[in-house]
Amino acid sequence: MRLSKLLAGLALASVVLAACGTTGGGGTANKGTIKIGVDLPESGAETSNGIPTLNGVKFAVDQVKSVDGFTLQYFNLDDAVNGVHDPQKGTQNVQQFIDDKAVLGMIGPFNSNVARAEIKVTNQAHLVQISPANTNQCLTKDIYIPQSLSGVPDVDCKAAGYPFPKDLRPTGTNNYFRVATTDDFQGPAMSDYAYNKLNLKKVGVASDAEAYGKGIADTFSIRFKKDGGTIVKRQDFPNASHVSDFRSFLRSALAAGAEGIYFGGTDSNNACVVRNQMKGIFPDSAPFMGGDGIVTGQCIKDAADKVVGMNGTVATVAAEKVSGSQATIDAFKKAYPNSNDYGAYTMPAYDATKILIAAIDRAIKANNNNMPSRQQVLDAMSKTDFTGVLGHTSFDDKGDTTNKVITVYAVKDASKGWEVDTTVDLSHGL
Amino acid sequence: MASVAAALKGTRTALSGALGTWLFLAGTILVLAVLLLPKVISNPAFFIQILIYGVANGAIFALIALGYTMVYGIIELINFAHGDIFTLGAFIAIPLIGVFGFTDSTPFSVGVVLVLLLVTAAVMVIDGGINMAIERLAYRPLRSAPRLAILITAVGMSFVLEGAMYVWRGANNVHFPDLLPGTRISFLGASLGVKDLIVIGSAVILVVSLNVFITNSKLGKAMRATAQDREAAQLMGININRTIAATFFIGAALAAAGGIIFGLYFNNIRFDEGFTAGLFAFTAAVFGGIGNIQGAALGGLFIGLVQAFSNAYYQAALTDVWIFAILILVLVFRPAGLLGMQVPEK
Amino acid sequence: MSRPLLRGDTAMRWAMGTFKDRNRTIYTLLIIGALLFPSFADVTTGGAGNHLVSTAADAGIYVLLAIGLNVVVGFAGLLDLGYAAFFAIGAYSYGLLASGQLSGSPLHAEFHFPFWVLLLVAMFVAASFGAILGAPTLRLRGDYLAIVTLGFGEIVPRIFRFLGAGSPLGNWTGGVNGIAAIDSPKLPAFITGPWFGTPIKVVAPFDFGDSNWAPMDFYVLILILVAICVVLVTNLHNSRIGRAWMAVREDEVAAAASGINTVAIKLLAFAIGASFAGFAGCFYGAKLSYVSSENFEFVVSVSILIMVVLGGMGNIPGVILGALTIFFVQFFVLTNLPDYAVAASNAVGLGFLNQSTGGWVGLHDEVQRLNYIVFGLILVVVMLLRPQGLFPSRIREQELEKGTTEEAVFDVREATD
Repeated sequence: MRLSKLLAGLALASVVLAACGTTGGGGTANKGTIKIGVDLPESGAETSNGIPTLNGVKFAVDQVKSVDGFTLQYFNLDDAVNGVHDPQKGTQNVQQFIDDKAVLGMIGPFNSNVARAEIKVTNQAHLVQISPANTNQCLTKDIYIPQSLSGVPDVDCKAAGYPFPKDLRPTGTNNYFRVATTDDFQGPAMSDYAYNKLNLKKVGVASDAEAYGKGIADTFSIRFKKDGGTIVKRQDFPNASHVSDFRSFLRSALAAGAEGIYFGGTDSNNACVVRNQMKGIFPDSAPFMGGDGIVTGQCIKDAADKVVGMNGTVATVAAEKVSGSQATIDAFKKAYPNSNDYGAYTMPAYDATKILIAAIDRAIKANNNNMPSRQQVLDAMSKTDFTGVLGHTSFDDKGDTTNKVITVYAVKDASKGWEVDTTVDLSHGL
Repeated sequence: MASVAAALKGTRTALSGALGTWLFLAGTILVLAVLLLPKVISNPAFFIQILIYGVANGAIFALIALGYTMVYGIIELINFAHGDIFTLGAFIAIPLIGVFGFTDSTPFSVGVVLVLLLVTAAVMVIDGGINMAIERLAYRPLRSAPRLAILITAVGMSFVLEGAMYVWRGANNVHFPDLLPGTRISFLGASLGVKDLIVIGSAVILVVSLNVFITNSKLGKAMRATAQDREAAQLMGININRTIAATFFIGAALAAAGGIIFGLYFNNIRFDEGFTAGLFAFTAAVFGGIGNIQGAALGGLFIGLVQAFSNAYYQAALTDVWIFAILILVLVFRPAGLLGMQVPEK
Repeated sequence: MSRPLLRGDTAMRWAMGTFKDRNRTIYTLLIIGALLFPSFADVTTGGAGNHLVSTAADAGIYVLLAIGLNVVVGFAGLLDLGYAAFFAIGAYSYGLLASGQLSGSPLHAEFHFPFWVLLLVAMFVAASFGAILGAPTLRLRGDYLAIVTLGFGEIVPRIFRFLGAGSPLGNWTGGVNGIAAIDSPKLPAFITGPWFGTPIKVVAPFDFGDSNWAPMDFYVLILILVAICVVLVTNLHNSRIGRAWMAVREDEVAAAASGINTVAIKLLAFAIGASFAGFAGCFYGAKLSYVSSENFEFVVSVSILIMVVLGGMGNIPGVILGALTIFFVQFFVLTNLPDYAVAASNAVGLGFLNQSTGGWVGLHDEVQRLNYIVFGLILVVVMLLRPQGLFPSRIREQELEKGTTEEAVFDVREATD
């Protein structure tokens, strides 16, 4: 009884405490406070995704500090339960943002399936949501695989088993934006690179069977066939994060004549362990390819002595390659010195935050320098015309960035790690 | 319903006992043969390759399964923390190997072998000690409490161990130095890694020595007696607490060795590796007949093979489904497992 | 034999002496708490309590699940380690039959059945799966049944994940992407108020997905569902069937000897338990409007089991409290713990701990990493202090205190079939 009383007391106390949440950043302006909600997976095995992205947001808010006399703060909530991103927790978090009148927009989520649960809630509250990392095409577009990619008629989202974007938006107006381009560009970009530059004709393809990994593996395969190559072996590994042995897949791909391996997935799902295990099976020259999930520092660690020959696409402009952005990256790395603080989505998150702040600024101005409503921020957001570390960004009517650039990274020298190889501009289609 | 139940009972009775063991083995081999023979003929070298992978993975599963089976045999606890004890073995070994300054580029030599043996021995003792401490603190006080209470503390300890490794080394894969030779031997058209053979060999040595120990040593006999009837064993003057503690120690030591072998073999390990490995190892223990040492080894081997063949020849997405489906079928038709003792029906 | 906290138990009985019936007291407190919670949330957060109400409605799902698992584990004494599978089956039943999902399947047709019908369908489907799984396996000794259910619990989410785009059988379940944009429940008319903070008014037609009412409407709905289930289960427990469950749990051989069809009665418990999970799954899908296989993994099964055991097996109000406590810890305390730590360190003037420097990643992240350990320790410590759970059933408690059963509740060596 004593214990349960204690628990009950604790329960009460934390409900009160939790209502306050975390907030950080901010300057000393006095017209009031505007908060930016941040929903990312911040604990468990997904820390490596969420925290570097969160750092980008924090860095941007700490830099700007205030907007038109309003103090700016970030308000971050973790959407992982038991170490796994959880759509239920995600909707609880966005509900918390919606309740807080000072939250005028939010950054996140990281995972496409969390987004699918959240958009329906934020849409009804007219809350702007801008994701730095979601790449699943059906979050914004009706077409899953366009004809331009496959050569056969369009496959729409519904036929592919996804809801249409309008099904997720009960109010009928869009409130969801993203700075990353979609999977239907990432896979093909690597396919073209593999076929034309790496000169591969036969490839083995695998994925971690998650929305992102399977998506890019599928679009890679479709495009590769259209390019004229052959997919000799295709396999999906659900629970890839718990698979330790990919060698039987690699062996069978080799037996079928594969000259290289494409793996759609993230390093937290052991994508680069696959690369490491190519050792002793494939010749040293056989390349390994993937999406932005492998263009990470952790991937270099996992691949160990097999780093050279890895190629990965990132669905945004490489901030390193945009003139004038290097200074921001250096400043960030000075403020966040740990090597795990910076990731592929740090700068996209930084830009996403800046874009949101800019929209809030325009909304305030349009509202005679008063606190704007969420609808006003939403209206301002869709008129975004922003130049930041990723270059120039604006949004089409679906909420997708018009800055459709894929950067191909490669490891050519083990001591230098990932280096930008080519930039593919897809703004005018594939 | 009644007829189904009766038929089931009939099948189950027929399948228990020695005849059942042979029937079961023969059936399994037959099914495997039908499924695999065409593949073997079409590309024998590839088959041998996959076979070796399956055996090596199975050997590691077997080492973990032994701990499950021993602990279950003696106190009927599904020790959910056991898989994490396995991971912990590899985690402790990494800094110890680091002390000797060995990295990926260290060439294989007698020195490396000696250091690895030394590190393995040390880790086995440390990990065994940790498992004994867990038993003492979290399980022993609950030995006479409702059975579920101890199951929940086992889950709790699993969280604590995973949490500790997470805090220690973070959420990502941790690299385990690649110290075994990368040499490959050509065998019937397949290229076998010396690494694979070392893994299989060391696992076999460990399983055989455990078996000898359990059958011949005084402690081993005490363990078997306690597993059979705790009260009677106590009356015969066996120190129950000491025997159970020893069981946890030995189980953990084997799992620790398994962890190091895993690390040397795959060169990457993560804080939650033990969860799935543990689940499969537990399946292996049940498959072989829980409480039975040879059964656990055989079960581990079987799971390893099913996994490798399914990944190579069929849908990798369904591999786990096959394994768990086999588990359910075994339990339905032969609850005692492949080598388990006959369950008396009352 | 250890009797931890013997004096604690004495103190508890003394405290309990002030009330005639502990369970009635708990129920009264729960009802008052449930009714007052929205206003409490509203007041403590200064009018921004919707997210707390929404979270509380989510907690209600786990209460339903715990009540259902309690029938299996607490009443009939069968250990189920794959309960989340039935939860998943319920959620997918609703998701498939109340969304556009199946238009992409080989059926090429989509269904939008009403929530109220599907509530019963989901119950029935989950119960059928419970029966199919239980029929051949319930004769097994206790722990073997646990292992079978564990296997089942691993298989179900994997199959849902497999049957997505690209599977040889066609895209049925959306695979890894799950099913999104699921319909929300609708009623021809519903009263809004007084619980919505508005005067009593009839709104017709009423859509639960309408943001004017959400999440309060779901909160009201889950309260009603939980109340119905509690009444049902309590009646079952006090009926002939309930007594038969108890008999089977305590001594299967004796139960069989006194004319109870033990297999049938166990099967019934299994199916009823599964049907509650189907019920909860249906509500889960409707409220979240999204279903994904990765949210029905082993850890969910274990969490529900922990709720039942921690609350006190066999005792419905205890189990409800257990469910609320564990939900609260997992979804609230653990995710907010880093923030509490930061607030606490700021309050006592140790703000410098919050900065990230070299090896130290800042108090917030350091505490976040402790999540697993904290949860694990809570489980271990609570079980060590109160192995019978926080609020055990009276019968269990007496058994434990008087030491009438030296054997464990799940003793399987004797209870073979």
